[in-house]
Amino acid sequence: MADVTFYLLEQEELDHKPAPQALACQLAASLYRQKQACLILCDSQQQAEQMDELLWQLPANAFVPHNLSGEGPPRGTPVQISWELPQRLSQPVVINLQTQCPSLPGSVRQIYDFVPAEETQKQHARDRYKHYRAAGYQLDTRPASSLDESEHGKDL
Amino acid sequence: MPSVKTIFARDGALSQGVQGFIPRAAQTEMAVSVEKAINDKAQLVVEAGTGTGKTFAYLIPALASDKKVIVSTGTKNLQEQLFHRDLPIVKQALGSTKKTVLLKGRANYLCLHRLAQHGGNSTLFEKQTLHQLSQVREWANSTKSGDMGELKSLPEDAKVLPFVTSTVDNCLGKDCPDYDDCYLVRARRKALDADMVVVNHHLFFADMALKDTGFGELIPEADVVLFDEAHQIPDIASEYFGEALSSRQLAEMGSDMEVVYRTKLKDAGQLSKAAEKLRASAMDLRLQFPQQPQKGNWQLALDKQVIRNQIDRLTDALELVYEVLKVHLGRDKDLDSVYERCVQARARLSRLTDTEKQGVSLWYETTPKHIILHLTPLSIAKRFAEYVETPKRSWIFTSATLMVDGGFEHFTGQMGLKQARTLGLESPFDYPEQALLCVPRYLPEPTAKDRSSALVKVSLELIRASKGRCFLLFTSHYMLRQVAQALEELITNPILVQGTTSKGALLEEYLSSGNGVLLGTSAFWEGVDVRGSDLTCVLIDKLPFAAPDDPLLEAKIADCKKHGGNPFAQIQIPRAVIALKQGAGRLIRDTSDKGVLVICDNRLVTRDYGRIFLASLPAMQRTRTLDNAVMFLQQLQSPHTEQQCAHEPELKETEV
Repeated sequence: MADVTFYLLEQEELDHKPAPQALACQLAASLYRQKQACLILCDSQQQAEQMDELLWQLPANAFVPHNLSGEGPPRGTPVQISWELPQRLSQPVVINLQTQCPSLPGSVRQIYDFVPAEETQKQHARDRYKHYRAAGYQLDTRPASSLDESEHGKDL
Repeated sequence: MPSVKTIFARDGALSQGVQGFIPRAAQTEMAVSVEKAINDKAQLVVEAGTGTGKTFAYLIPALASDKKVIVSTGTKNLQEQLFHRDLPIVKQALGSTKKTVLLKGRANYLCLHRLAQHGGNSTLFEKQTLHQLSQVREWANSTKSGDMGELKSLPEDAKVLPFVTSTVDNCLGKDCPDYDDCYLVRARRKALDADMVVVNHHLFFADMALKDTGFGELIPEADVVLFDEAHQIPDIASEYFGEALSSRQLAEMGSDMEVVYRTKLKDAGQLSKAAEKLRASAMDLRLQFPQQPQKGNWQLALDKQVIRNQIDRLTDALELVYEVLKVHLGRDKDLDSVYERCVQARARLSRLTDTEKQGVSLWYETTPKHIILHLTPLSIAKRFAEYVETPKRSWIFTSATLMVDGGFEHFTGQMGLKQARTLGLESPFDYPEQALLCVPRYLPEPTAKDRSSALVKVSLELIRASKGRCFLLFTSHYMLRQVAQALEELITNPILVQGTTSKGALLEEYLSSGNGVLLGTSAFWEGVDVRGSDLTCVLIDKLPFAAPDDPLLEAKIADCKKHGGNPFAQIQIPRAVIALKQGAGRLIRDTSDKGVLVICDNRLVTRDYGRIFLASLPAMQRTRTLDNAVMFLQQLQSPHTEQQCAHEPELKETEV
C-alpha cells in the first residue's frame, strides 16, 4: 500500500503560479534529481499543458526532462504529465492534481497530493483525504514550506 | 599609441572617429584581454555573443600593437568584409598607417603560365569555356592584382578557372618562366611585408600544414595569430593535417601530359598512351561506386576484392606514367612538374590504401564524376599544441559559438590548448524581451518516418503569422524538399529554396520580396546576417546531430569508445550544440530585433541532454504553446513595433 503525503498550501499562488502546480513542479524537479520517475496526474489536458509549460520554463540549471501523454520517446521520460490514468502505469510515484481521487494500482508506492488554500478546492482535498484513508493508505500531512527544506536532503 | 582601454572609452578615439559608436563593457573587456594576450604572447579563447562587436575588439588591439598580425576568418566573403568594410573604419579612427593586406588562396589568382599554356590550344575547350578564356585574356592585360574576383562578369564556378589558375599540383614554383611576374608570388611578398594580413582558415592551415609550399610561408613571420569564426577551425585543421587524393587530380595529370604531348613533345606518343591509361583507371575506380554522390568508409571498401583489383590497376597505371615520365625528364618544365606530382601521388596512394595505420580515419567521398580518398587524423590536439607552443607567440581564437554548457573544454580539448586563457562574453541583447523559443507539443518523434506533414502544419501557422519573412532551416535535404513541395501548394509567399541559385542571390531575392520564406540546410545555419523585421521567425526541423554515417565522425566515435569515453556526450552533443547555437543565432542580430525561434524537436524537452542545449542557448523566453509564438509574431505586425524594427536591411552573405 502506498504512502500518501498531503502538502498544506497557505497561499493560492506561488510566484504568480497556481500553488498546487508550482509545488508539483518543485516535487517533480526534486524527484528527477533523485532519479525517481513520476507521473503527474492532471484534471484536464489544459491543466496538463499548463504543467508542461511550467516545467519547460524552469531555469536551464533546474531542467526537468518530461513529456505529455501523446508525445515523447517510447520508453517515456522521467516525468510524465497526463490527464487520464494510463492503462499501464510504470511510475512508482504519482503527483496528483486531479479533483477526484484516482484509483491507482498497487505498484504505486508514493502519492503526493495537495490541500489548496482556496475553500472549494480545500473541500475536495478533504474528500480525497477521506477516500485515501478509507482505502487504507498511510497518510501524512506536511506544510508546503517543508518541501524547500527537504530540497537538499533525501527526505521527501 | 594610447592604451586600448582609452581607445574604447567614452571620449576615446572610437567615440570620436566612428559614427554611432557607443562604448560597451563586454566589447572593451574583450579588447583589453586581447591586448593583454598580445603583450603576454598568450593563448586566448573568447566566445563573444552576437552583438558584442568582436571584430573591433580584436582589430583595435592588433593594430594598436607593434606586432605583425595574421587575421584569419571563415570564408573569402568574410575576409573581404573585414578588409574592405571594418578595417578602413578602424584604421581611420586610430589614424593608423599600418600596412594591411588581403591575401586569398592560390585558386583566386591568375596564373600567367597556365594562361599562356592554354592560349594557343583551343581544341580542348567547349565553346562557352573559350568565350570565358577570351574574357580572361582581355582582363589579364589590365589587372594589377591578378585577383580573379575583379572579373565580375565571370561566374564563381566558371569552367575556365582551373585552366587559368594554378594548383599546388601543377604550379612550377621557382622553375616557372613567369615566376617574376607571378601574381601569387607578388601577393605573398606583399603579405610578408605587411603589418596585418587578412587570410581565411583554409589558406592558413594549408600554409601551416605545409600543403602549399614554394613561396615562403607566412606564419613564421607573425607575432600574433587571430582567428575569427574559430568554431570552424577543428574541422578545417583536421582536413589539412590529413591527406587526400582524387581521381580528378590523376585525370588532370593525364590532361597535362596530353597538352605537353600535343603542343611540345610531339614525338612522345607514350605520354598520351600512359595518360589515357591513368585517366581510364581513375574513372573506373569511380565507377565502382553508386552514381549518387556519397561518403563512405574507405577502409571497409578496401576489403572488397573488386575495389582492391581496381586499386591495383590504378597503381599499375601510375607506375607506367612514372616510367614514361622518367624517360622524358628534363625535356619540359611542365612535364617535370607532372613527374613530381606522380611521385607524390604514388606515395599518397600507398598511404591511402594502408589499412594498418592507427589514429586515422580512411574515408572516401564521391561527386557525380569523381572520387576523393581521404586520410584524416582522429585528433589534431597534439600536433596543433606543438605548433602553438613554439615559437612563443599570441594565439587568439574567437567566435560567437565556442562554449558548450558554459565551458570551453570541447574547443580547447580538440585543439590541444591546455594553457589557453578563456573568456565568455554574453550578448548585450535582451533575449527574454526580444525572443521567444517554442518547442511545439505532440510532434512526432524526430526519428519517426513521416514528420513532414507535422512540420508543414507548424510552418504554415508561423508563415501566416509572420507574413513570410522567415527562415526554415533543415538538417536534411530530403525534409527540405518535402516541406518545400508541400508549401508550394499552400502559400502564395515567394518560396526560396537552397540550391536553386547561389546563396547570395537567394538572400537578395528573399530581402527584396519582403514576404519571402527561405528554406535552407547547413549553408544557411551560419554566416547569414538579416536584421530587423526582414527576419522575424526561424524554424529548425531537428536538433543538428551530425549524421552518424559520416565516416570521419564514425571513426572518431569508435576511437572514443575504444578509449573508454562516451562519444555521445563528448563528441556528438557538443557538436550539435555548436551547430544549434549557430542556427539560432540567425534570429536576433541587433538590439531592436525581435522574433520567434521554433525548434521542432521534442528531445529538447524530453531528454536529459536537453539541459545542455538550453544552457548553451541565449536566455530566450520559453513556451511550448505554438499559439504563443503565433501571437508574438502577430504583435510584431502592429504598426508601432513595425516602426521600431524598421531597419536598413543589412546583408552579410558568406560563401567559401
